[in-house]
Amino acid sequence: MSKKTIEVVVNGRTHRAEVPARRMLSDFLRDDLFLTGTKRGCETGVCGCCSVLIDGEVIKSCLSLAVHADGHEVTTIEGLAVDGVLHPVQEAFVNHGGLQCGYCTPGFIMTTVAMLNDNPNPTEDEIRHGLNGNLCRCTGYVGIVESIKAAAEKLRGN
Amino acid sequence: MNKPEISNAFTTVGRETPQINAIEKVLGKAVYSADMKMAGMLHAKVLRSPHAHARIVGVHTEEARALPGVHAVLTGDDTPTRMTGIHHKQHRILAAGKVRFIGEEVVAVVAEDEETARDAIDLIRVDYEPLPEVFDTGEALRAGTIEVHDGSGNLACEYNVVRGDVDAAFAQAALVHEDSYETHSQYAGYMEPMATLAWRTSDGRLHILTSTQTAFLQRMRIADAVEMPVSKVRVIQATVGGGFGGKTAEECNSLICAWLATRVDRPVKFVNSRLDDFQGCRSSPPEKIWIKMGVDKDGIIIAKEVKIVADCGAYEGLAGHVLQVSTVRSDNMHRYLKNVRLNGKLAYTNNPPHGALRGFGGPQAAFALNSHIAVMAEKLGLDVVEMLKRNAIKSGDTSVHGFQIGSSGLSECLDQVSDGIGWDSKKTRPKDIGVKRRGIGFGTAIHVSGNREMGNWDGSTVIAKMAPDGRVTLMTGECDMGQGAFTMLAQCCAHELNIPLSQVTVLPTDTDMSPYGHGSIASRVTILAGNAAIKAAREVRERLLTLASEKLGVPKEDLDMANGEVFAKSPAPNQKIPFGDLARLHIYRAGGEALQVTATYDPPTFLAMATPEQYGNVAPGYSFAAQAAEVEVDTETGQVRVLETFVSDDCGKALNPLAVHGQTCGAAVMGIGWALYEQMRYEDGRLLNGNFADYTMPTADSVPYIQSGIVESMEPNGPYGAKGASETAIVPGAAAIANAVYDAIGVRIKTLPITPEKILAGLRAKQAAQDASGASR
Amino acid sequence: MKDFDYLEPASIAEASEMMLAHPGGSVMAGGTALMLALRQRMVTPSHVISLRRIRDLRGITHTPAEGLRIGALALHAEVARSPLVRQHAPMLADMASRLANPQVRNQGTIGGNLCYGDPATDPPSCLLALNADVVLRSARGTRVLKVDQFATDYFATALEPGEIVSEIRIPPSAFDAGYHARFLRTAAEHRPLVNFAVSLRKQGDACEDVRMVIGASTRVPTRLRKAEDWMKGKTVTARLAAEVADLGASEIEPISDIRGDGSFRRDMARTACRRTIEDLFNPAGSAATSAA
Ligand SMILES: Cc1cc2nc3c(=O)[nH]c(=O)nc-3n(C[C@H](O)[C@H](O)[C@H](O)COP(=O)(O)OP(=O)(O)OC[C@H]3O[C@@H](n4cnc5c(N)ncnc54)[C@H](O)[C@@H]3O)c2cc1C
Ligand code: FES
Ligand code: FES
Repeated sequence: MSKKTIEVVVNGRTHRAEVPARRMLSDFLRDDLFLTGTKRGCETGVCGCCSVLIDGEVIKSCLSLAVHADGHEVTTIEGLAVDGVLHPVQEAFVNHGGLQCGYCTPGFIMTTVAMLNDNPNPTEDEIRHGLNGNLCRCTGYVGIVESIKAAAEKLRGN
Repeated sequence: MNKPEISNAFTTVGRETPQINAIEKVLGKAVYSADMKMAGMLHAKVLRSPHAHARIVGVHTEEARALPGVHAVLTGDDTPTRMTGIHHKQHRILAAGKVRFIGEEVVAVVAEDEETARDAIDLIRVDYEPLPEVFDTGEALRAGTIEVHDGSGNLACEYNVVRGDVDAAFAQAALVHEDSYETHSQYAGYMEPMATLAWRTSDGRLHILTSTQTAFLQRMRIADAVEMPVSKVRVIQATVGGGFGGKTAEECNSLICAWLATRVDRPVKFVNSRLDDFQGCRSSPPEKIWIKMGVDKDGIIIAKEVKIVADCGAYEGLAGHVLQVSTVRSDNMHRYLKNVRLNGKLAYTNNPPHGALRGFGGPQAAFALNSHIAVMAEKLGLDVVEMLKRNAIKSGDTSVHGFQIGSSGLSECLDQVSDGIGWDSKKTRPKDIGVKRRGIGFGTAIHVSGNREMGNWDGSTVIAKMAPDGRVTLMTGECDMGQGAFTMLAQCCAHELNIPLSQVTVLPTDTDMSPYGHGSIASRVTILAGNAAIKAAREVRERLLTLASEKLGVPKEDLDMANGEVFAKSPAPNQKIPFGDLARLHIYRAGGEALQVTATYDPPTFLAMATPEQYGNVAPGYSFAAQAAEVEVDTETGQVRVLETFVSDDCGKALNPLAVHGQTCGAAVMGIGWALYEQMRYEDGRLLNGNFADYTMPTADSVPYIQSGIVESMEPNGPYGAKGASETAIVPGAAAIANAVYDAIGVRIKTLPITPEKILAGLRAKQAAQDASGASR
Repeated sequence: MKDFDYLEPASIAEASEMMLAHPGGSVMAGGTALMLALRQRMVTPSHVISLRRIRDLRGITHTPAEGLRIGALALHAEVARSPLVRQHAPMLADMASRLANPQVRNQGTIGGNLCYGDPATDPPSCLLALNADVVLRSARGTRVLKVDQFATDYFATALEPGEIVSEIRIPPSAFDAGYHARFLRTAAEHRPLVNFAVSLRKQGDACEDVRMVIGASTRVPTRLRKAEDWMKGKTVTARLAAEVADLGASEIEPISDIRGDGSFRRDMARTACRRTIEDLFNPAGSAATSAA
């Protein structure tokens, strides 16, 4: 089995690891770093459950090899809360019906964090288009859209 | 002075309440089955049949076995010979002898890691001798055709229900109309593919951590299939990433994984890939529905005849129950309907098996029924909402099939939706004549809250335990698969004990520890487990007050509780005692024991399934919904956009409006998906689009902001008046959209889904008909 | 995914050598297309040769003489927000901002898109309408092809062993308007059913010059030459738009698959074409409906 040594900063911590070349980034996070908040929901890059940030930009970790993260900074759902205090996006998802089963939630939250970085005051249309790489079967998206509006407002206020 | 009511300053009942496990979910800390790891854990993968019907002639596994890292390669011949299934025991854990659908599990591999298991799968060769196949239900039911199960005639089950005098009623009717409708199969589409981790312990017991909505049914079925006593099998519910009916006792991921764990010495994990999940799932049965309906001159429905042929696929599972619902349930929405003749047939085919899905047969029937009613209202010159209201069943009614309607907010739903979407003004505005045309349509729904169908018990048990620190732990056999059932139970308990919600923990279902429960099906949990939780909490309350009364020397009537303390209201308001002290006192005294209460609520319902008449009150409550949709049809592209939709759900009482709206919006969007976007595309039994790129579920930008309204009809049997609210809203949507499409362009789509191609074909046919009638004039 | 060896060449020359040394290998750019094929084991390369360390494949530059140069590794998102692309090829930036979804735009490259040859994508038709050049390099040298020379068939390109796409060049053009319409079969789809790209030069209501391309519904992006000829030099009326669209739709050979059969695709191509032209000219009598 072909292996490769990589150095990745994940949620602020530097990890040096030897990984099989065929290890997907999502599996590396889940199986090697035990960051199971990043989910797997499909094989086609559609569902967005595996979304994480690389150098601040949102990507699907099932479409990337772990070796491709070498030298980069990865943020996963586990990296958002600081000292147990929820990130405003997380808090909004809790309070505004942004989740039910919670399986899609890490992906939506990561996408939202990136979206609001780029566009702190999105319209509902922009929110919905910005979410078209993520699927949720539970909420019908209403609670998610509400959560994002609330989070945007809070983040703008800060 | 009057005695004050029980105070419940801490109650969350009726208030928007985030799920009690929401925080672990947003932190990414909730543990789903696939997240679990055990020391020495192995990984399973299965090889599926590429044939819809074939004899297995030879299975060559030598190469796979020889691959380093492979622990076991097992075939159908290795599985217990005992058959498994819900009613009809029809298949083994892996196919043996024959395969009957494409995707059926044939060989399982257990290996050190997933990729190695996958590598091994690629090395297996199976020789098949193809058999003739049957995919069409009409063909399947023709005498003398190929049989999927020998001697079955391909008839899995049949329902015949006749009430009143249908022919006489048709003769009296002012208008009789008949037509046929067709529905297609929907995939549950939960975001978490099925995943299971199973292991044996040295005492010979089998432990299964899985994603399930019915832990105890799983235990029963797995124990039976692997030939172990039920008490030696333990099913633990992990956090579940959505179920929607697809994670009951029909899916095979958990069964295969459990069995594999009995065959190797290490824990086995089996995580479905999405393709596995598509191929191994039980999607909803497609149905062909013929309706003949008679109404009087005022639009009152007086006679109805229905014939349904549903596609079972290769194995029966729950499809028979689903068909039963499609056949009879929607009749119970109409208060004057007394004459019905119903026939439902379920046909085996070599399509993948169908089974339970949110709405459980309701959406299929409602699509046909609400389309049909819209046609008849138009023929009568009646506003369809008016017609629906005239027929709407009311609280106190007993329906044609003996449903005793304790509460019905159907009329109120219709009013709320009408107002909410602006029905009157939209209905009367001039018709669009351009390329894009708007239209509006309606649909209605009934659903059960609970359903007496398994033995003569539809109860639910909740155990409430108070720890020595005064916090309460609840245990239930029902499951939370994201709908918020545990939050609801905690709310009931906190309300009764007047404590903050944070003082209540609800444990995930574990068949070793939780009280027995049928699980989360038939929208039963709120009404049944909710009542059980209230009963348990009241008993805890009673015990606390009794003890406190002794301890404080204050009569019980003068005691109340708040925030984890019992206190004396008068004459000495300072006297109080914390729950923790009472919980300890409950133990540490002669003859004491930990404060633990078991309470069961079994509703006053009737096991109609077991009688030939199939008549009687099956559920303690019935939920209703109405939905209007406004669509815009692009007459050049055939695209249908839902511009606006309003859904009202009569859930009795919204214990948690946040959760009810969430369920309603989710169900409505799933309904839009079924109507417009989703379709399991089969070619000779082969699923062509087993992935999310091609099986297109609604995205955020493909649906409107769902407007959701709540009607509180206060169900007498319900906990604080509540009944089920998670399935009803998937039922009315497809008809609302189809009716709106008709309103927009005058084309009636009777076969779901409503695709651009069908819209364009319908417009062409309409044009051709107009041209022809123009030419003949 | 089958096991493979992973290589990271630092230069185009080195990459080319590796490709020749490992004929069973696959090049990887962003990975969004290749990863799917690997995971489904449709492709089982002995080596994966990642381009990510090759500096020469990055960057977006512009010179008045040569026009835009977009490195093959430019992400869709980079193309979308590049001020240079927005200024000199706004329809390309606009297209890139709408294709796929935010994540894929942050991972997929324009070069990878072209090299995969997947018809159900957006950049090829857009680049053809912009008369773009695809620059191919190998240890042996450089070739420059037009998009319709580069895309040879369904999932097939003119790439030869050892060759990689290094950049895309968009020459300065005499066109002054354009649009790329991405048409989805339903709003819930993830891939375009058809797309229509047009570059044109307007003179009031008249069309002086035009390039039109249909993609996604054809094996390779297809120039609508007859339609172009018909449109050139004419005043664009609603009627002309319809005629052009009819002609254009007759010029394509649509594919048929589960996402749409050929005649439906042809109809949608016609509609997308007509609506886009109408939107660009807004003639009286047009239905004033947006294409996508
Ligand atoms: C969910 C989803 C939705 C999508 N929707 C759209 C859409 O709406 N519109 C659209 O246009 N596209 C869409 N795409 C496709 C997307 O644009 C492509 O996947 C992406 O652009 C490919 O680029 P990449 O860098 O990831 O390619 P890779 O996966 O890295 O490579 C693809 C192929 O090209 C070869 N290759 C890559 N770079 C080079 C090079 N420089 N020289 C030679 N060979 C090379 C590789 O060997 C491989 O065979 C979608 C993809 C996904 C997963
Ligand atoms: S798991 Fe990555 S997009 Fe679905
Ligand atoms: S919350 Fe369950 S899929 Fe989104």
